[in-house]
Amino acid sequence: MRAAVAADQFYQETRDLRVTGFLLFMVSDLVLFSSFIFAYLYLRNTGQGWPPPGAPHLNLALAALNSVALFGSGATIHFALENWKHEKFMKFAGWMLATIMLGIMFLSGQGIEYYSLYTVDHASWAGSGVFGASFFTLTGMHGLHVFAGIIYLTVLLLQAAQGKYTFKYYTGLTLGTLYWHFVDVIWVVLFSIFYLI
Amino acid sequence: MEHREPAVHLDRGFWAVTFALAIVAALSVFAWVVAPISGWLPEAANKAQQIDALFRFLAASGTALFVFVVGYLLYFAIAFRRRANDPPDALGVQIHDNNALEFWWTLIPTIFLVILVVFSIKIWAGIELGPNTGLTVEAIGHQWYFTFRYPQINGEVTNAMHLPVGQPVTLRLTSADVIHSFWVPGMRMKADMVPGLINTLHFTPRRVGRYQIICAEFCGTLHGEMDKQWFVVDPPVKYAAWYDAWQKKNSTASNALPVQSNARVAFGAGDAKIGQQLFSQKCTACHALGPFSQRIVGPGLLGVLHDPAHPNLVNGDKATRENVAEILQNGYKGDMGQMPNQTANALSNTDIANLVAYLDTLK
Amino acid sequence: MAVTAPQPGGIADHIHPEPQGFIRKYVFSIDHKIIGIQYIVTSFVFMILGGLLAELIRIQLMNANGGFMTPDTYNEVYTIHGSTMVWLVIVPMVTGGFGNFVFPLQIGARDVAFPWLNMVSFWMFPPAGLLLYASFLVGAPVAGWTEYPPVSLQGGPGTSMWCVAIFLVGVGTTLTGINFLVTALKMRAPGMTFTRMPLFVWAQFATAPLVMIATTALAAALAALFMERQFGVPFYDPTKGGSPLLWQHMFWFYSHPAVYIMILPVFGIISEIFPTFARKPIFGYKMIAFSSISIALLGFMVWAHHMFTSGLAPFLQLPFMIMTMVIAIPTGIKVFSWLATLWGGKIQYTTAMLFAIAFIATFTLGGISGVFLAAIPFDLWAHGTYFIVAHIHYVLVGGSLTGIFAGMFYWYPKMTGRFMNETLGRWTFWLFVIGLNGTFVPMHWLGLMGMPRRVAEYDPQFQTINQVESLFSFVMTLAILLFFVNALWSIRHGKRAGHNPWHARTLEWQIPSPPPYYNFKHIPTVLANPYAFDEPVPYAGLEDELTDSPAPIPAGAY
Ligand code: HEA
Ligand code: HEA
Ligand code: HEC
Ligand code: CUA
Ligand SMILES: [Cu+2]
Repeated sequence: MRAAVAADQFYQETRDLRVTGFLLFMVSDLVLFSSFIFAYLYLRNTGQGWPPPGAPHLNLALAALNSVALFGSGATIHFALENWKHEKFMKFAGWMLATIMLGIMFLSGQGIEYYSLYTVDHASWAGSGVFGASFFTLTGMHGLHVFAGIIYLTVLLLQAAQGKYTFKYYTGLTLGTLYWHFVDVIWVVLFSIFYLI
Repeated sequence: MEHREPAVHLDRGFWAVTFALAIVAALSVFAWVVAPISGWLPEAANKAQQIDALFRFLAASGTALFVFVVGYLLYFAIAFRRRANDPPDALGVQIHDNNALEFWWTLIPTIFLVILVVFSIKIWAGIELGPNTGLTVEAIGHQWYFTFRYPQINGEVTNAMHLPVGQPVTLRLTSADVIHSFWVPGMRMKADMVPGLINTLHFTPRRVGRYQIICAEFCGTLHGEMDKQWFVVDPPVKYAAWYDAWQKKNSTASNALPVQSNARVAFGAGDAKIGQQLFSQKCTACHALGPFSQRIVGPGLLGVLHDPAHPNLVNGDKATRENVAEILQNGYKGDMGQMPNQTANALSNTDIANLVAYLDTLK
Repeated sequence: MAVTAPQPGGIADHIHPEPQGFIRKYVFSIDHKIIGIQYIVTSFVFMILGGLLAELIRIQLMNANGGFMTPDTYNEVYTIHGSTMVWLVIVPMVTGGFGNFVFPLQIGARDVAFPWLNMVSFWMFPPAGLLLYASFLVGAPVAGWTEYPPVSLQGGPGTSMWCVAIFLVGVGTTLTGINFLVTALKMRAPGMTFTRMPLFVWAQFATAPLVMIATTALAAALAALFMERQFGVPFYDPTKGGSPLLWQHMFWFYSHPAVYIMILPVFGIISEIFPTFARKPIFGYKMIAFSSISIALLGFMVWAHHMFTSGLAPFLQLPFMIMTMVIAIPTGIKVFSWLATLWGGKIQYTTAMLFAIAFIATFTLGGISGVFLAAIPFDLWAHGTYFIVAHIHYVLVGGSLTGIFAGMFYWYPKMTGRFMNETLGRWTFWLFVIGLNGTFVPMHWLGLMGMPRRVAEYDPQFQTINQVESLFSFVMTLAILLFFVNALWSIRHGKRAGHNPWHARTLEWQIPSPPPYYNFKHIPTVLANPYAFDEPVPYAGLEDELTDSPAPIPAGAY
């Protein structure tokens, strides 16, 4: 009994540390994105007008579809964690898989967009001027985050399957969820600044 | 935990030191007030006097503050040292706080800073918000020299920048390569020369003489060599003579800044490459390289000459090279606002030819 | 967020098994004390390199026509000098070094929140430094530590190495910032409320968010510069639609907070040394703590004061001028509180205290010239000249470095168990103060009279003054050399210090010197703020810590 109490307290405090640390990590990551977003908005407002000559045409429909996929994955991962809390492993695994699939869909969508920009508009990272610099850097950075997230979530799922987490102690899963929501929120911002304004 | 603060007693020594520091501070303030700053560094332009006044104020109050801080520091350090006959671990007076004192040493600096801000803003406004009047001269930074362009003097003046004493000047600064900075210590002021951007300095030369122009922003290997040119303030007659001489000497070159001449632009000489550079220096503040509808201040210029949907210019004339050149020479005021004329944009006829050649390439 | 201090028995009380073997103990150590010392030693090594470069600068400037180095070499030399001193000396020293060694001890923790991450942060630092110096082989960066494009786009391949190196140190410091912030929030010993934290802890607590946020912005700017240089991705080149001013905004959004990263922890060091040697409570504890936080916040709102001449829109200039001046107020509160701490004290003149006192004078001078620069019309005069060089060296050498020396003399006994030699210390002190002022005071004058910075040759009228400065700079070098001799010699031969030679009251002094790897046998409970000298030391639960005899009497001990 005493041991259990001690373990609980130990768990709570580690969890506390890890969550705080992870939140702060996301704050700095957010600053990284914000800096590039600032750069983009700055160039947009001080350069030769926007979009600059030779800027490619973005595919709003595809990006919107993509966004739906990503936002959907925000919901699915939420369900996954809820099911974990209610100790339903199979449902948890299902929702996790759904999340991962949606993430893969998003990345594929982005791949298609990049490919069509490359073949139709001949836009490349270095070659399409300040537009390309901002667009490809920011969406590329975000894409890498999604990619990392997919691997991260897969690892979490495998670990969960192997019993690394219990229904009581699952800080790792919480962090994965936080991360995924973070990537989601960043996309909201990127989508609005590139496709909507 | 109840903590009783011991009473604070400032002894005679403290007041004597305070008095002595006040005297030293007052003397140093006095020294700064009478300091012959213009003797050390002549005041070449009107703004220099104002900046010197601000500097006197800063230096005087800064010195006074420093005298007090260091004075008390030394006094406390000496007066409150542990003496030989004190026990080895003797304690000082155990006081933690004094709200009144802390209040005052927050408030007094605040008041001082408010005064400083007001004083600075007054001078700042004269420098930054002055009207673009008087003689317009351009200075352009290169790696690693300056060139100057004058209305009606053909070509670029390369040795020194001459200006007539007493006449207001608007100096427009830009760069052909990297960032430089145009600094005349005699004028006190400087402004960076940034490629793609025009910064201005307004001032009136007030003292005849030769003053060094120094580049104050690192610009590559020979940044240190960029101090060999001069800012020369001449009496009006001498200035006129210099001006005429340069004009004669350069009569063959054609990239002068005209003063409202309606001489026709010779398009043959137009070079789209140079035009592009000029465009990015002078036009992008107002014009985007996008379709007509894409406005910054003026319309987008991507299709001025070649867009079927845009057969006429804003003034109703047909979109031809001649008519575009005409707008560049005379400017035009329509619904969107004022397109500046040739003088205001500081364009020579050659510049216009180059710009039109460039605009012609935009499809 | 409710901040709760950990209870005994929880994670804070968890003792890791002691690491075994040289590598785990001293190389890839996860012990915050070892990591702190690693940072300090590495920074000092880089300081020797950066300082030697400074002396090369001074040798070149002894002749108005240069001649000792080519202009290109000269440009490389001061660029690496500035970059080294900022990123490889002061920043790692005050955060990673003193922060790691002292601050977990002061809050009564066994280690930082993420010890393993701490080790990773450290190990990003030496390779980054080596990379920076390796750039000399291929043509080091030349455009100054600020690397303004477009000229930095023209620089040699070393400029890209510079980007990578600074990026790496940046990532390391960011992780340290996160680590410290979590530690300060979550790992304080029971009873250590915010108003009981030592002021050095407050200083680290204020610095950590600066590090964490500002450095990331720098990482973005560096990444963009790197991509533009290596792959032609346009961000800054105006001929490709980029903006050179964009870099300046991003760089200074980091680098202004960075100057407070370099000074706030030093304020903390001074706030520990003053009460200890004046034998008096620190005056105005709450205001000093509060001013650290407000400086950190204000520090984010003033970056464009480095850009007054660059063509910023006029009405953007004013708020930056005003905010910059506002910072003088909290800083003034600190200076005045330190003065008041001396008043009525029984000051013991150790070398640490001498350096701390000198700090007040030299830092105030640098701060006042900073307020001059904040006044835009004056900045139009002084920007880009030796006046700026004077300002930065008064705040960085007269401020940060002086404070670091004070801190070294103060905590050396805790790190090694031995004193540094006080006689040598006094020589160091006087030579340093004389050299410092002799080198940097005349620079104010030079700048105003027309000597721009970053020049390999200059107007001959300034030659005599420059020669005088160079001579004084040699004096300063001698002083620093003595310091190193002292620090090395004392490891073996210094007098033994015991656990609390200065009779200081913060937690790190209540345990043996050097502290055991687990720091505290039992996590103590904190009962009050540490600075009330007339009361017993306010900690409970420390009875088992000391095995040596009661503290020696300080007289004669140093
Ligand atoms: C904390 C930061 C710091 C420190 C400590 C210093 C220290 C010194 N600096 Fe530096 N300096 C900068 C930060 C710093 N500087 C920055 C940021 C710039 C701007 C760069 C730029 O423009 O981009 C600059 C620029 C700068 C310039 C202007 C260059 C130019 O614009 O052309 C000069 C000129 O004199 C100078 C001089 C000195 C001197 C003489 C010292 C002296 O204090 C150095 C003292 C000597 C040592 C610290 C080494 C001593 C030790 C040994 C030699 C012993 C060897 C021992 C053993 C082997 C055991 N510095
Ligand atoms: C530790 C580093 C450090 C610190 C603490 C500071 C502190 C300050 N700095 Fe400095 N600064 C640098 C490092 C630092 N600086 C560097 C490295 C550069 C140059 C970078 C480069 O270009 O290479 C620079 C450049 C720089 C500039 C740009 C100059 C230019 O390039 O044109 C300006 C302009 O505003 C400025 C202002 C200030 C101000 C107002 C403070 C204030 O925080 C100072 C506050 C302190 C005091 C004022 C003293 C104590 C107060 C009192 C005793 C109270 C009463 C006082 C008054 C009411 C005035 N600094
Ligand atoms: C201060 C802002 C400003 C600057 C600088 C400026 N312009 Fe204009 N320009 C305008 C405005 C406003 C108009 C539209 C006037 C209107 O119709 O109301 C205009 C119109 C024009 C037109 C006519 C466009 C059309 O479709 O009919 C041309 C061509 C032009 N500008 C070229 C230039 C060039 C070349 C430069 C650089 C040398 C330049 N402008 C600099 C503001 C500016
Ligand atoms: Cu041009 Cu420096
Ligand atoms: Cu700053």
